[in-house]
Amino acid sequence: MTGIIGNYEMSLLTMVGITVTFALSLNLITGLCGQISLGHAAFYGAGAYAAAMLTKAGVPFALALLAAAAVAAAIGLVVGLASLRVRHDFLAITTMGVGFLFIGIVRQQDALGGTMGISSIPDPGLGKAGFMALCLASAGVVALFSLYVKRSWMGYAFDSIADDEDTARIVGINVPAYKLAAFAIGTGIAGVAGGLYAHNVGIIDPDSFGFIESITVLAMVVIGGNGSVWGVTVAAVMLSMLPHWFQFIDNYKLLVYGGLVFAVMRFSPGGLAGLFAGGLERLRRARMPS
Amino acid sequence: MLAFELFVQGLVQGSIYALIAVGLTLVYGLLRILHVAHAGLFTLGGYCGVLVANATGSFLLALLVAMVVVGLAGMAMYRLCYQPILDKPPYVALILSIGLFIAMEELFRLIFGPYGLTFDAPALQGRLEILGINLKHAEWATMAGAVIVLGVLALLASRTRLGIAWRATVTVPQMAESFGINIIQVRYVNFFIGSALAGAAGVMVALANLQVEPTMGSVPSYKALAIIVLGGLGNVRGTLIAALALGVIESYGTIYLGKILERDAIAFAFLIVVLMVRPHGLFAKAGG
Amino acid sequence: MTALLEVREVRVHFGGVVAVDGVSFDAEQGELLGLIGPNGAGKTTLMRAITGVIRPQSGSIRLAGRDLAGLPTHRRVRLGLGLSQQLVSPFTTMTAVQNVALAAGYRKTGAPLAALIQMRRAPELARARELLELVGVRGLADRLPGDLPLGDLKRVEVARALALDPKLLLLDEPLAGLNHIEAAALADTITALNRDGLTVVLIEHNLGEVMRICSRLVVVDNGRKLAEGPPREVMGEAKVRAAYLGEEVEDAAA
Repeated sequence: MTGIIGNYEMSLLTMVGITVTFALSLNLITGLCGQISLGHAAFYGAGAYAAAMLTKAGVPFALALLAAAAVAAAIGLVVGLASLRVRHDFLAITTMGVGFLFIGIVRQQDALGGTMGISSIPDPGLGKAGFMALCLASAGVVALFSLYVKRSWMGYAFDSIADDEDTARIVGINVPAYKLAAFAIGTGIAGVAGGLYAHNVGIIDPDSFGFIESITVLAMVVIGGNGSVWGVTVAAVMLSMLPHWFQFIDNYKLLVYGGLVFAVMRFSPGGLAGLFAGGLERLRRARMPS
Repeated sequence: MLAFELFVQGLVQGSIYALIAVGLTLVYGLLRILHVAHAGLFTLGGYCGVLVANATGSFLLALLVAMVVVGLAGMAMYRLCYQPILDKPPYVALILSIGLFIAMEELFRLIFGPYGLTFDAPALQGRLEILGINLKHAEWATMAGAVIVLGVLALLASRTRLGIAWRATVTVPQMAESFGINIIQVRYVNFFIGSALAGAAGVMVALANLQVEPTMGSVPSYKALAIIVLGGLGNVRGTLIAALALGVIESYGTIYLGKILERDAIAFAFLIVVLMVRPHGLFAKAGG
Repeated sequence: MTALLEVREVRVHFGGVVAVDGVSFDAEQGELLGLIGPNGAGKTTLMRAITGVIRPQSGSIRLAGRDLAGLPTHRRVRLGLGLSQQLVSPFTTMTAVQNVALAAGYRKTGAPLAALIQMRRAPELARARELLELVGVRGLADRLPGDLPLGDLKRVEVARALALDPKLLLLDEPLAGLNHIEAAALADTITALNRDGLTVVLIEHNLGEVMRICSRLVVVDNGRKLAEGPPREVMGEAKVRAAYLGEEVEDAAA
């Protein structure tokens, strides 16, 4: 295996797998269900910490990942419940607040390593290639799952909530229950991504899961096109590989993110998916007999 | 006496928050947009202030230039960034603003360096003691400035034609137009005033810290968002009270809650607790 | 025999302002009831109390004998209350038929996890097309709401409400914004639906059409019930006419 793909490429692909999983998890909440979340990194972080502490305590990797999902989803449910009380303007700020609160609390907990975080996270024992395969597989599974949700009646209900929440109630949709479902599933998956991340890099600290991280993943969803599984995947792949393609870009990474997000929202709010759909539409109109 | 000192320190900090938050709430009241990039204007003010003060030696000039430049920048932001997307769903403006803010911070870092700029000869560094509280002139000035400015704003809002026009535009936009109110003009003035205040806050904070650095806008900006939600989106008076309250709560909170919670997270803990109890913020929205 | 909709002594006040002051009325099975009154009479507030958007301070509302107190809107809808809103609000990212099909799938959308395992939309889409035909806009099924004029959008809303197999159809100003011809046509459609056995409660400003199609009227003014009875009788009462004086009465030329 190592003959075909070098170590560097494997690391890259592993990271891409984790990032795509993370981005798609937000896409479930923000893209499919229309609930804007500016604090998604908190669940990523919760999963990372949970998994890391468990494997350090001797728990098998697979179980640790499941626990990571559970912990993140539990917090996600609480946040989801809180989100039900507030209007959508407030939702953005509330979720941002959750993100800051998470960092603020974790940094003060010595049990979680305080500001230094957790180090010497044990190797999952899958080997480099195996771990890469796991990360890529998780991305693939989440992508397929997202597509499945979109075509199911849950996705149909999500569409209506994202479109007009009050009208959704009038057609009998239990809006709070669906929002909670979106939060629980999306944050649970983020927790898994976090667990994978922790075991990929071996050390984690609170600052890896801050506001910038939340905005970065939101950027992927938004640039890809809110709700579009392939769009978000492409955006996540490209944005995460950017610093690796152009070494010098690392210094400009945030500028590029910020600038791209701004440009997309200003000129093409539908993101990549929107551009593509618009392009297809123009092609279709051009082809129609006049 | 420690408790009182904490209180006054809290008020000073709260005054800064108030100067920043007011601009935010003005924009929200008018356009229903969470103008996160406002914090970038705050930082811009700081940079302008330092550059002009170092170039001319006059602090007053620096403050004035900063306010004007930032005010104009704010107007430009409205025209180029927000006006074209007013018809889109609100999350578009919010995310655009966030992207813009991050890009601005990065530009400051890339152009002026990550370590910021310092005042060559910072003004207002003398100390003054009133009622047993010993603060720098800059800190007294900040508090006084915030009170005066916001008081003037409140007066403007209720007594002048412009103020009334603004309130009308906020509460009944369609009707406002038919009354002959120039909505575009109101918006430009709105952005100018709000941004100029943020610019002033930037200069004052730079003065208090003796330097300006690229990320100085982040933390205040996030807190300012929490503040305007607490104060009631669009409610200037409520925002002022919430800002001062937060300053004071942080002051005490750092001492008493420091074990559990970092200082900067206190704002958000406070916000979330309040929102759970009163989902519409501490005060009702301006104009009902 | 209990009426289909029983509204009893409903009081709603906001702060010091009393919007609805002890209003009671019934809607009997099979009726086409009109709820009318001048602007600010409290009709909308009453409507919101029935749909569950607002919680009344006192009084009770029963649908088919079932007390609706404390139930959120979506539960009331599932108990048989079909609604159309004053400001027409289709899902703009879906076509007309998709709008109606979502409602038709109410059995599938009850709980999120149950909805997750349901995939087929064909039966609901077919039912949606039937309903769109019933309200007379079959040809617009695959169009987006953004492309459709108000009159057609209102019909789509009615179809969407019908898709929920309601016991009672509650329409909030369905004729608002329509010209004479469109209003008359929509009123006729509503009458036809009622003739087929559907109970309809209509909140409406357009007195001309209301007089023409309703079997009974309830008049509300200043938060109180002013009168009720057959249209001609009610409109003949002096106090009802007085309530409308000083208020722009819609062209009542029937």
